Amino acid sequence: MRFGNKALAGLVLALAAAAANAQPLVVFAAASLKNALDDVAALSATRPTISYGPSSGLAKQIESGAPAQVFISADLDWMDYLEKRKLIREGTRRNLLRNKLVLIAPAGSAVKAEIGPGFPLAKLLGDGRLATADPAAVPAGKYTKAALEKFGVWDSVAGKLAPADNVRAALLLVARGEAPLGTVYSTDAAVEPKVRVVAAFPDGSHPPIIYPAALTASAPASGPAADFLALMSSPAARKVFEKYGFTPLN
Amino acid sequence: MRIELDVEKALGAFRLKAAFASDAPITALFGRSGCGKSTLLNLVAGLLRPERGRIAVGERVLFDSAAAIDVPAEQRRVGYVFQDGLLLPHLSVRQNLSYGRFFTPAAERWADFDRIVALLDLSPLLERRPQRLSGGEKQRVAIGRALLASPRLLLMDEPLASLDAARRGEILYYIERLRDEVGVPILYVSHEIEEVVRLAGHMVLLSEGTIAAAGPVRELMGRIELRGLVGRHEGGAVIEARVAAQDLASGLATLAFAGGELRMPDVDALVGENLRVRVRARDVSIALSEPRDVSVLNCFRGRVVEIGTDAGASVDVRLDLSGAPLLARITRHSAERLGLAPGKEVWAMVKAVSLDRHSVGYA
Amino acid sequence: MFDALTPSEIEAVRLSLKVASVSVLASLPLGFALAWLLARFEFPGKTLLDALVHLPLVLPPVVVGYFLLVLFGKRGPIGHWLDQAFGLVFAFRWTGAALACAVMGLPLMVRAIRQSLESIDRRLESAAATLGAGRWAVLASVTIPLSVPGILTGMLLSFARSLGEFGATITFVSNIPGETQTLPLAIYTYTQVPGGDAQAMRLCVLSVILSLGALMLSEILVRRANRRIHGDAH
Repeated sequence: MRFGNKALAGLVLALAAAAANAQPLVVFAAASLKNALDDVAALSATRPTISYGPSSGLAKQIESGAPAQVFISADLDWMDYLEKRKLIREGTRRNLLRNKLVLIAPAGSAVKAEIGPGFPLAKLLGDGRLATADPAAVPAGKYTKAALEKFGVWDSVAGKLAPADNVRAALLLVARGEAPLGTVYSTDAAVEPKVRVVAAFPDGSHPPIIYPAALTASAPASGPAADFLALMSSPAARKVFEKYGFTPLN
Repeated sequence: MRIELDVEKALGAFRLKAAFASDAPITALFGRSGCGKSTLLNLVAGLLRPERGRIAVGERVLFDSAAAIDVPAEQRRVGYVFQDGLLLPHLSVRQNLSYGRFFTPAAERWADFDRIVALLDLSPLLERRPQRLSGGEKQRVAIGRALLASPRLLLMDEPLASLDAARRGEILYYIERLRDEVGVPILYVSHEIEEVVRLAGHMVLLSEGTIAAAGPVRELMGRIELRGLVGRHEGGAVIEARVAAQDLASGLATLAFAGGELRMPDVDALVGENLRVRVRARDVSIALSEPRDVSVLNCFRGRVVEIGTDAGASVDVRLDLSGAPLLARITRHSAERLGLAPGKEVWAMVKAVSLDRHSVGYA
Repeated sequence: MFDALTPSEIEAVRLSLKVASVSVLASLPLGFALAWLLARFEFPGKTLLDALVHLPLVLPPVVVGYFLLVLFGKRGPIGHWLDQAFGLVFAFRWTGAALACAVMGLPLMVRAIRQSLESIDRRLESAAATLGAGRWAVLASVTIPLSVPGILTGMLLSFARSLGEFGATITFVSNIPGETQTLPLAIYTYTQVPGGDAQAMRLCVLSVILSLGALMLSEILVRRANRRIHGDAH
């Protein structure tokens, strides 16, 4: 009888393990990676389920137990946040990509600007608003605030923002012409024909825009999650990322 | 005031085609359920539109398909007392009563609030809400409300149908007062012959969407061929009589009419008053010789005028009592046995107890 | 947790109440008209109209927000015309938040009012007509008074929906403190900031209190209205 029980338990465990391995791979990724990462995922043998959103929201969901096994954030802060809470598998964190922050305008707009100390952003906005991801929480917004503070124009435009839920929502506002100017990643501007880049924010004006990637604590050390992490650093994937305007690291 | 009606209306499979005219203070529309009486009222009120026809009250044409006249309901000045009263539940009795007055142009306002309230004894009810009224009280308020809109014509759709017997008598009394004191012509729908006899001067018999007969009540009640439509149990001739005497000791009243003197109990009238009495045909017996030593109080000489031709065990015999009509329903067997034929001299017997205050109408 | 409210929290509450109230009051005439149309008339396209009214109920709020952006944004056909003709601007303003709430709450309002209208005995309206009341008089003196419970319920449902409106608002007018950052958006923002959980919880509690208050008030009003219509028999 005892032998029978042990065998049953072993069978159940084996099935559970098999089931766990058979579950689709869930990847949480920053919204700005949408088009590029979809193409990279197409290279993989397993079809991962990729959930895009603001890094802030995704990190909190992982903290609450979301079943993601891979996390790619649009800034270091939110990866630090999870690492501090031991929600990242040790040793799997790496810096994946770099991006640039740009100032955009609707495609039909003829506005010109040079981004430098004290540049007349408030005047350029007129009575319109600057569309940007929420500076309180979303990486793209935080980079924007850092850069504008560096150039001493933040105070003049802090009351003229249109803080959007994520960087793609900010892109939409400019694409539709509802906001005369906006800040998004160069990779986002590249995929939206209805906007044009007015100027790029110089590299030193904000903390480097780095996309770290890692396995979450719930992911096994080896398996589809680890494979996918490795895939994203592969030459084929790097080519895809470059195509979309990202700068692959390492 | 004269009411003229000539309309056609189809509602699904039901076809209504009716034409009549009347001068009487109360014109009754009588017929079984589903014969089209309420539809006719709705056409006059303007709640339904006829396919073709003409509706006129006095000189006012309310509808004329040939002349493309169709006065909207709210301008017709036709009051409507519904079977269920339909008092506005969110208003008090006083507000319900005053509702119509608000919409009546000052020039047309003849109804006086205090007078109508007094006529219908509504004073104790004025501040109540409709939900706190009994059935009879609701109907009185409904009547008052319709009157206070100063209508030129009043429609009443079986106003007593949802009331119990005691209430019915009470409201009948108020309608009689209405008829006698207010002077607005009334079109009264009912399927109870008792109400018709009591109230109406002119009667329109409806059957399956068409008019079977129209004319003075007394005349229609005396026609044998209409018996089926008028109602097998309640049908009978209507006699015009005058109270000759009231005997307190026996409780019987003596009513004088063309055929002689009719004695009956329970007559709430003073000597000299004119009345109508409906004598049910099934309460009338026929003898070939003057009855003697019988309990029946009312025996009259008369002549057979007509014998009904319906098949069946019973037959209607129309008699003439020196000018007053009387219908008798006896078995065909007896009619043959007595050898009844038009012209034969007979005696008619009516039991006094078969008559009561339900048979009497005050003219 | 039980300290006095900070100015920004007070701002969010004030804005939420303003936006919700304006959205309910502004959408009431349209809500009643639609309910009346659907309850009383038959016409070609009635099913389509019914479906359109219910659309915000079944579409994801973000989609509704997107449509509002396309139509009522500064560049949108309706938004542009309203700006030119009346100076009425919805983009990035609390008026836009109110519009988003009005649209999301409309199906609930219309349903409640329609149910109420359909339960009114039509013959009462006929009776009023025979007493001389024209169509509009009947509407004002009979139909509307008798449908007050449904109207109040519809207003409450729309108000409650507005207090909780998020997706359409943030997509249409973004998250501007003091202008469009209603309570739900404020709560969301706090949850996005590391360590903002305590503040988020405070605002949640506030939201619950507001909603309960609205619910209880409407209960009292509806009960009073019912008593008036049905008399003390209820």
